[in-house]
Amino acid sequence: MAAEDTLTAPGAAPAALEGAHAGTAPAEHGGGGGLPQFELQYWGGQIVWLLLIFGVLYVLMSRVFIPRLRRVKDTRAETIASAVAEARRVQDEADAQASAARAEIEQARTRARAVAAEAKAKANAEFAARQAEADARIAEDLAAAETRIRTLRDSAMASVGDIAVDTAGAMVERLTGTAASAADLRAAAQGAA
Amino acid sequence: MASPMEQFEIHKGLQLPTVELPGGILIDLSLNNSIMAMLIAAGLIIAFFAVATSRAAVVPGRTQLIAEGLFSYIDDMAEGIIGHESRKFFPYIFSIFLFVLSMNMLGMFLSFTATSQLAVTVTLALMTFAIVLVVGFARNGHRMYKLFVPSGVPWYMLILVTPIELISFFLRPVTLALRLFGNMLGGHVALKVFAGFIPALATLGAVGVAGAILPLAGVVALTALEFLVAFLQAFVFAVLTCVYLNDVVNLGDHH
Repeated sequence: MAAEDTLTAPGAAPAALEGAHAGTAPAEHGGGGGLPQFELQYWGGQIVWLLLIFGVLYVLMSRVFIPRLRRVKDTRAETIASAVAEARRVQDEADAQASAARAEIEQARTRARAVAAEAKAKANAEFAARQAEADARIAEDLAAAETRIRTLRDSAMASVGDIAVDTAGAMVERLTGTAASAADLRAAAQGAA
Repeated sequence: MASPMEQFEIHKGLQLPTVELPGGILIDLSLNNSIMAMLIAAGLIIAFFAVATSRAAVVPGRTQLIAEGLFSYIDDMAEGIIGHESRKFFPYIFSIFLFVLSMNMLGMFLSFTATSQLAVTVTLALMTFAIVLVVGFARNGHRMYKLFVPSGVPWYMLILVTPIELISFFLRPVTLALRLFGNMLGGHVALKVFAGFIPALATLGAVGVAGAILPLAGVVALTALEFLVAFLQAFVFAVLTCVYLNDVVNLGDHH
């Protein structure tokens, strides 16, 4: 009940006001239930102003603000796309360089291996050659020594007869006081041998 | 105590001349609180976007980030509903969303909510309806009748379907206007009524003070809800504008 009273109270004031305005409003006002929104005398002004305000807002939006935002968004999308493309390109380049470097390292390694093997083979060959040379020299020396020994022995063996003849001659001369003939001595030595 | 309806009363401010339209309709151009609320709402949007986009950079600042967030939000929504042609209608959709949002939100801070005025919501709804009609006839011409005669429906069903489609089509501006108006009106009335309980109960002594906590909590909760409604109704208005535009933009081809 109290609510009803307060509801009608504000309605009464505009009704009086409308009377002063000499409008046609009071008729609608009776059936309006007191809602201020149904006071049609204020509709015209609100509608005209609304259209005006919205028109200005729309023009500013469509001509100024939205193009600005669109432009900056498009620019950003382009920037990001180009940056991503650039990054991808650099990445690919780096990958290519890395694989090239890897291949190079691999190549160097095989080359090094080949060089090492070659050096080893050369060293081995040199060693073998030097050894063979040394062997040959030793064998040569050995052979020379052997021949020398043989000749020495042969010569020594040859001298043995003479020494025996000389010795026998000297002994015979000492024992007998007469020198034996060389031929006898040689024959004797030959027989002793 | 003030009536919950007092907040919707129009109070005249600056007196401006009354214009008479042909047909004897008088239009009082005087400024009042409703018009002031609209002016402030639009002014805030314009000021905000002027600042946010004045030095638009690829790496956005804080205000630009908010502006772009709103922009993308509505742009994605419009493109999702209308398709690739949404860019043509985006300025209107975005403007109406921001304007309604701004008026709704101002209603939470000022003493007046422009969108709780039927004159305002009806005008906005009729504006959208008119644009839908203009776009529809400009694009489709006489094929606009397909809007009410869905293809692939047998003739005996059309007898039923066509009147329903016609009625629902012409009720669109009505529902569009009343939905926003009703939400704003109801929310602010409920807030006022609940808030009115607090002093009324508090005068009843100790028990009353204890009892006043309940409506106080209610008002706090309702205020939070009203902020949600303020945003939601602006969004719903924008979504429905998109849906109605989509009907006539992509008439006939189901996409």
